[in-house]
Amino acid sequence: MHGRLKVKSSEEQKAEKKKEQQKKLVAYQMGMKKILSSRQKETYDKESFGISAQLLCVNPDIYTLWNYRKEVILIEHDKSKEDEVEGEEKFGQFLNTEISLTEQCLVANPKSYGSWHHRYWVLLLHPKPNWEKEFMLCTKYLNYDDRNFHCWDYRRLLINKIGITLTSEIKFSTDRLNANFSNYSSWHYRKSAVFTDPADSSAWFYLRWVLSNPALTKDKKEKLMEQFEQLEELEPDCKWILMAKCWLTGSLILSDCDHTDDRVLYYKRLLKLDPMRKGQYQQYLQLKD
Amino acid sequence: MATLIKDVKLSDNIVKKVLFEKHIDFINDYGQDENNYEYGMTDYLRISGMYWALTALDLMNSEPAQGKDKVVEYIKQCQDPQSGGISACIGHDPHILHTLSAVQILAMYDQLNAIDTDGVVRYIQGLQQPDGSFAGDKWGEIDTRFSFCAVMTLSLLKKMDVINVEKAVDFVASCKNFDGGFGSRPLSESHAGLIYCCVGFLSITNRLDIVDQETLAWWLCERQLPSGGLNGRPEKLPDVCYSWWVLSSLTILGRLHWIDAEALKTFIFACQDTETGGFADRPGDVADPFHTVFGLAALSLLGYESIQKVNPTYCMPQRIIDKLELKPQYLS
Repeated sequence: MHGRLKVKSSEEQKAEKKKEQQKKLVAYQMGMKKILSSRQKETYDKESFGISAQLLCVNPDIYTLWNYRKEVILIEHDKSKEDEVEGEEKFGQFLNTEISLTEQCLVANPKSYGSWHHRYWVLLLHPKPNWEKEFMLCTKYLNYDDRNFHCWDYRRLLINKIGITLTSEIKFSTDRLNANFSNYSSWHYRKSAVFTDPADSSAWFYLRWVLSNPALTKDKKEKLMEQFEQLEELEPDCKWILMAKCWLTGSLILSDCDHTDDRVLYYKRLLKLDPMRKGQYQQYLQLKD
Repeated sequence: MATLIKDVKLSDNIVKKVLFEKHIDFINDYGQDENNYEYGMTDYLRISGMYWALTALDLMNSEPAQGKDKVVEYIKQCQDPQSGGISACIGHDPHILHTLSAVQILAMYDQLNAIDTDGVVRYIQGLQQPDGSFAGDKWGEIDTRFSFCAVMTLSLLKKMDVINVEKAVDFVASCKNFDGGFGSRPLSESHAGLIYCCVGFLSITNRLDIVDQETLAWWLCERQLPSGGLNGRPEKLPDVCYSWWVLSSLTILGRLHWIDAEALKTFIFACQDTETGGFADRPGDVADPFHTVFGLAALSLLGYESIQKVNPTYCMPQRIIDKLELKPQYLS
C-alpha cells in the first residue's frame, strides 16, 4: 500500500465502509472461483473471460488472470488459422480489444508490471502490430509522468521493434563524448543543466559520470574548475558545486599535488553543509592523512 | 529557480521506540481472517505476504499465532506438481517471486523437505534464458528482480550449479548504468529496489567486483532526505521500504556509515501506526505487512536492540543464514 492516507471516520462510516467492502470481497471471490474452475475444465466460456477483464480493471496485479487471458488468446489464435479468408483479420480485431483493456488498466494503474507485459505480449502476437501508435502512446504517458520507468522500459522495447535508431543515437552521442572531448557541443547541452539550476540533484549525477571520463584533459578540467568557482560565487552554500570540485581535483590529484590541500578544505566545508553524509566526507578526509 | 526538495515533514511527537506488542498483534490479526477485506483481496500475493509477515514476526522474536505447521501445509498446496514452481495462493499460477518467498519461509522454519525441492530447482533452471537473464514465469517477462530470485532460491537449496552463473552475471552486469546503479533491464533507469536486487545477486554470486563501489554508494547515500527518510530515485518522496533497499545495498558495499543513522531511525519510528500497529510507507499512511518487515529489517541493520540480526542479502534472520552456512560476499 503506497501513499494511502489514513483517514479518521465515525463508527457509522466505518460500518458503511465495511458493508461496501464485504460486497466487493464476495464479488471478487465469486468471480475468481468461476474463472479458475472454468479454466480447470478448459471450457473458456465468454462470461469468465468478461469477468476477468472486470477484475483486472480493478486490480491489474492479479497475474494469474493475465495468464488465463493469454491462454484464451492462444486458443483464439489457433482457431483463426482455420479460417484462411478472414481469420487473421478477426484475430487482429480480437487482439485490439485486448490492447484497449491493457490501456484501461494502465490509465488506472500506470505502474502495473502485469499490464505492461501483457500489452507487449499481445502486440508480438498481433498479425499487424501498430508499433508507431504504441510509440506515440508512450510519449503521451511520459508527458503525464516522465519518471514512470515502466513506460521508459516499454519505449525501449518498442524502439527495437520500430527500428527507430534512438538506441544508436544515444550510442552515437556517447561515442561522440568518448571520442572527442575537445568538441564540447555534445555534452555541453547536458552540462548546462547544472548551471541552470544548481540545486536540482539530477544533473549532478550525470556530471559525475562525465567527469570520470579518462578522455577529459587536464586543460579542460582546469577550465571547468574556473566555471565551478564562478558558479560558487553565485551559490556559495550549494553542496553539489563543492562535490564537483572534489571529483575534479580527485582525478587531477596524480598530476597536481597542489589540489590535495584544496580537497581537504572542500570536504571540511561539506561536513558543515551536509552533515547527514558526514560519514562519507570523513572517510575521504581520513584517506588524506 | 530554487528546486523544492520532495520530502515529508515529521511531527514533533514521534514515539522513539519500536512498539513491538502492537506490531506483533497487527501481523497476527492480519492473517487471521479470510473474510477480512484487505487480506481477502490480496490472495494474488499471499505467499510473499506470508514471507513479509513471518519474517517480521521472527525479527521481533515472535512466532505466528496460527502455528508454523499450518503455514507449511499451505505452502505445500501451492506447489505446482508439473512445473515445480510455487504460486501465490491455491489455484493461482506458479511464479518465481512466490517460489522464492516459499523457500525463504521453509528455510526459516527448517522445513525445506516439506516440498519437492527438486521440482523447485527444475522450475528455476527452466526460467533461465539464452542471454543469462531469468523470466518470472513461463510467459517470459524479463527483469533483474528475477535473476536475484533465482540465485537466492538456488543458493538456499545449495543448487547454484544447475544454472549458467557466468551468463547470469553477464546479464546483470549489462544492466549497470552510468551512475553506478542498476535497472530492471539493460538501459533501464537506476532504482534503489533494483539496485538491491542486483547488488544482492552479485553478493550471492561473489561478483561484487562488477560494482563501482564509490559511485554507487554515493548515489545511494544521496537518497537520504532532510526528514531522515530514504527515497528510491532522485527527486522522489521518502518511503520506509527504501530504508531497506538502500540500506541493505549500502551494508553489502561496506558503506552503511555514509548515511545519518539517527535521522533514518527517527523517520522509521514516525511511520509506525501507534493505534493499529504496523509500519506505513510514510507517516500518517495506512500500515501494511510489507512496510512493517522492511522497517524492522532496516532498524535491525541500524543495530536497534532486541530486533533479531537480519542478513542484508537475504532479508532473513542472520542465524538462519549462518545455520545454512551461506556466505554472501561483502565489500569493506
